[in-house]
Amino acid sequence: MGKIASVIGLLVFFILVVGKPFYVIDEREQAIILQFGKPVRVQTEPGLKAKVPFIQTVTFFPKTLLEWDGAPGQIPTGDKTFIEMDTFARWRIVDPLQYFKTVRDEIAARERLGAIVEAVTNDFITSNTLIEVVRSSNRLMKAEDLVAEGMLEQVTQLSKVKLGREQMTRGILEQVREKMSPFGIEVVDFRIKRINYVEDVRKKVYERMIAERKQISQQFRSEGMGEARRIEGEQQKELRRIKSEAYRTVEEIKGKADAEATRIYAEAFNRDPEFYSFVNTLDIYKKSLDEKTSIIMSTDSEFFKYLKDYTN
Amino acid sequence: MAWDNENRENPWRRKEAAPDPEEVLRRLKGLLGGSGISLGIVALVIALVAGLYSSFYIIEPGEVGVIQRFGRFVTMVENGPHFKIPFGVDRVTKVKREQVLEEEFGLASSATSMRGQFLPAGEDLSETLMLTGDLNVAIVPWVVQYTRSDPYKYLFKVRNPRETLRYLSEAIMRRVVGDRSINEVITERRAIAIEAKRELQKALDEAETGIHVVNLEMRKTTVPLPVQPSFNEVNQSLQEKEKMIYQAREAYNKVIPEARGEAERSVRDAEGYALERVNQARGDANRFSALLEEYTKARDVTRRRLYLEAIGEVIPNLGTKYILDPEQRGLLPLLDLGQKKGQ
Repeated sequence: MGKIASVIGLLVFFILVVGKPFYVIDEREQAIILQFGKPVRVQTEPGLKAKVPFIQTVTFFPKTLLEWDGAPGQIPTGDKTFIEMDTFARWRIVDPLQYFKTVRDEIAARERLGAIVEAVTNDFITSNTLIEVVRSSNRLMKAEDLVAEGMLEQVTQLSKVKLGREQMTRGILEQVREKMSPFGIEVVDFRIKRINYVEDVRKKVYERMIAERKQISQQFRSEGMGEARRIEGEQQKELRRIKSEAYRTVEEIKGKADAEATRIYAEAFNRDPEFYSFVNTLDIYKKSLDEKTSIIMSTDSEFFKYLKDYTN
Repeated sequence: MAWDNENRENPWRRKEAAPDPEEVLRRLKGLLGGSGISLGIVALVIALVAGLYSSFYIIEPGEVGVIQRFGRFVTMVENGPHFKIPFGVDRVTKVKREQVLEEEFGLASSATSMRGQFLPAGEDLSETLMLTGDLNVAIVPWVVQYTRSDPYKYLFKVRNPRETLRYLSEAIMRRVVGDRSINEVITERRAIAIEAKRELQKALDEAETGIHVVNLEMRKTTVPLPVQPSFNEVNQSLQEKEKMIYQAREAYNKVIPEARGEAERSVRDAEGYALERVNQARGDANRFSALLEEYTKARDVTRRRLYLEAIGEVIPNLGTKYILDPEQRGLLPLLDLGQKKGQ
């Protein structure tokens, strides 16, 4: 009894441990059942599954979205600027059987994807200008300070994007997706992670940026000086206006007063001009003749006529 | 296929589940060589206790337990004590759903974790070097704070959600910056953060990462080190410009009101003059009129009186007086008039 039981137990143990009739598919996985190395069944549902022990084996594949990070490479753009590109894609295995038949494992799949992405991306980049890769819309950029000669125009030129990054990545994605579908792979997303100038170009760009900023600085200073001069001119003008207006007013007032005075005098003195002369002349004598004055008077004068003779 | 098997097999599960209970019983029997029934009960109790103990687990507040039964997702449990089927049948993965995690871009801590080896020493981090829409180069560092708001998606939909978040962040930030001028990148960080956050959330949702972006914060955006002095110069020159204009305005505001006052003063002065002039004229005229009135009444005598009064006033004040007879004209040259004056 005990012997038989232990034999059965041992057999069961052997089948369970070595033959593995049961296997578990994780929520993140899918699997292919192979019979003597030949795929017979695809299992995409997670859970506890059974298979024929010993002759069937299971190969697992991820079901989740997978990432692919492209190594940075140097590509010349359509306008002959060398840039460093770093891209990434996200993909998933949609047909495990096809995947298993064509690429077998992830390392090979990545290599395949990398080669295709690189080729397609190169095509797109080399046939487009840099600005098409950088910008994704025609949004007009604010550049109030770039009013310096030619610079604003340059920026406006940069706003005229025909394709743009978004369109371009979509185009790349479409082509890559098409080329990857025979491998049981769906490429879900493709994006350009980084674009940078290569070292040499970067130095030149820095120089250009510096020159541009210097130009802007100079422009600001000139603008400041110009505006200051304008205000100074305004000041001079205002000053002259104020002064001349005041002068005019003053002279007008004085003139009017003089005229009025003249009228008053004339009105009064006209009643007897001779008497006016007489009175005023006497007044002038009083004011102008003093101790410094020497006078020689004739005894003929009205004043001295009594000195000679008191009779009339 | 090595990778797949490695990932799939849980070594802990194998160890716990594999030993056959009969095997254990047999071994125990052999060891003690006695009453099988009582030993079987002991073994059963031990197994029961062990099973009970390993089936008990606690989910902390803010955590969610994701339950998989034979690998298949069953349910999610909220915080509190729970039981599961032991021996590797049920597997619990705890996810801190409310914990805010942070990913930094272009700050010292992340430089080594990602692609630090590509960076030449002393140069700016290539992670943050970006081309702007006007083909300039800017340095844009930022931080993304996120929670794993959907643990199911976070665990099962994407193999490497954190990596995906980083890649998407970089791609989106560059896209947003690529559509702006260098000036906008430096001055309009808020707008960039808002747009980038919106785009990032959209991309993360599309990718089913189960990640919720709590906050996307822009750090100080600058330009590469070699270019910085020229940018500072622009700021400086802008200030100089404003200063020059300000100074000119200041001078204007100082001079013009003063001139206005001065003009006002001279006008008032002229008005004073006018009043004075007219009043004087009136006075003089009235005086003359009054005199004339009396004069007309006694012309001759008044005339004489006026004349004599004047003479009487003038003569005493005069200096040297010579009184000559009209016949004595020859005397005139003898008088040294000039000398007298000189004294």
